[in-house]
Amino acid sequence: MIQDLLSSFQYETLMAMFRAGILVILGLFLASLTSRLTRRLLQQRVSIQMQQLLRRIVFYGLLALFIASAMRELGFSLAVIMGAAGVLTVALGFASQTTASNLISGLFLIGERSFEIGDIIRVGDTTGEVLSIDALSVKLRTFDNLFVRIPNETLIKSEVTTLTRFPIRRLDLHLGVAYKEDINQVREVLMAVADANTLCLDEPVPLFIFTGFGDSALEIQFSVWAKRENFLALRNGITSEIKDAFDQAGIEIPFPHRSLYAGEATKPFPIRIVDHAPPEQDS
Amino acid sequence: MTKSSTKTPVSWWEAQEVGSGQRLECRVGSLALTIGRGKDEWTLASSGIAEEDAEAKASFRIVKGLSEEVDERFVHSGHSGQVLLSPRLADRPVVIRPRQPVFLLSGQTITLYLSTPIWLQVQVGDPAVLLKELPVLRLSDTWFGPSTREGELCYAGRTQARHDPAELPDRPHRAITPLTIHNKAASPLPLEKISLPVPLLALYGDQQGKLWTQAVTLTRQEQGEMASIQIDSKASDGGSEWTRLAEPRQDTGRSGMTRAFDLLFGH
Repeated sequence: MIQDLLSSFQYETLMAMFRAGILVILGLFLASLTSRLTRRLLQQRVSIQMQQLLRRIVFYGLLALFIASAMRELGFSLAVIMGAAGVLTVALGFASQTTASNLISGLFLIGERSFEIGDIIRVGDTTGEVLSIDALSVKLRTFDNLFVRIPNETLIKSEVTTLTRFPIRRLDLHLGVAYKEDINQVREVLMAVADANTLCLDEPVPLFIFTGFGDSALEIQFSVWAKRENFLALRNGITSEIKDAFDQAGIEIPFPHRSLYAGEATKPFPIRIVDHAPPEQDS
Repeated sequence: MTKSSTKTPVSWWEAQEVGSGQRLECRVGSLALTIGRGKDEWTLASSGIAEEDAEAKASFRIVKGLSEEVDERFVHSGHSGQVLLSPRLADRPVVIRPRQPVFLLSGQTITLYLSTPIWLQVQVGDPAVLLKELPVLRLSDTWFGPSTREGELCYAGRTQARHDPAELPDRPHRAITPLTIHNKAASPLPLEKISLPVPLLALYGDQQGKLWTQAVTLTRQEQGEMASIQIDSKASDGGSEWTRLAEPRQDTGRSGMTRAFDLLFGH
């Protein structure tokens, strides 16, 4: 009787193993067929990396399903495997911290709308036009036509300047005029230049600030406003116009000065004239 | 010397004939324009004249021969030598600042005559083909709005803010807008900056060759927060003698609008 039980048990096991084997082979066959089908369907639509990725996902996904059912046939409990998978997920979680952070930062960036595609932003030292805001990073094109990828995490953590947010922009010019000049006259000359320049906005009124008494010159800040698109044209135009106006009015922009004193400010500097003939030299 | 004939039509916006191989030299206020007709092409050259030297009347001269210095050439083969200079109003609102501050006391009304430079459309041939549209005087850009973040880009104009139409000088390149301001609020209204909604106005020409627009009325409401603009649907003075030369660039569809006070009167 025990022998009957043993033989029937063996028979069950053999059948189960046989069924499991069939399932695995069937799984392999179906998985490879489906992955080839996927490749054919997606050939034109997606890039090569994406194709390969999808094929692999489909293949291993289907295979895993069939192996799982084969294991169930053989009597293995899926709960143990799920437990192992849980531990694996935690490990993966730690590994993909940065990716997850980038992903969530990306969502917040899009939600905040501080810049959009087409805006020009400055992050640290990099200035460029936003080409796309993707899941993990933002792609910029710099003005010298280079492609820059900035992770979203960096953008959330650091200061981002959007240059194209407001319609008008102020140009700050720092100049110095010689100490002998009349500040009021300088102010009038600068205001006349700003008035004559059509790109320079009349309102807001150009700003004249006397910043201080510098080492070699009187430091002045002259700020003018222009429409954002005209900023570069104004920068080039108005600086040359200021130079011309200064030349015409006789206002001097000095070189750096250094004064030498021979000990006392009022005493003349002692000078000794040496005979031109050089002394006889040996060797 | 090249032969030339001078003709100055009173209404200088009417069509003129230019024969092949000739050029039309125009002086309209502060703009000097030369339109040449070559074989299958038209040439255009323009330069500015200082406002002090601008003449009171537009003048035109047909000169034989084409000039060598041209700014642009337009290929257009046609048999007609007709040239049409159509005036149009500015493409942005013009912010007018009176040379001296003007205070309008409570309950008072004033009518000011403000002038804005015009744009010229150069059209040739029959049917007329547009070559170029250019301003007679390039005004300075300015920003008009409550802050540097919101507002609009306008042109900056200066005005003597005359009340008497007889005092207005003859200038063919400027269109005059009679602006009536009512101050219904209790406090005096300082007229330092007024934004004139030029793209909403139509252009008219009178028999003497002067350019006008419809009258605009600005009313400051009793509470002082809002002001309403009313633009007349057609020109008021001597309406029958005036010809409507150009339609408004923008059509609001309504003659009266209410805007926040500081969008019309800056401070």
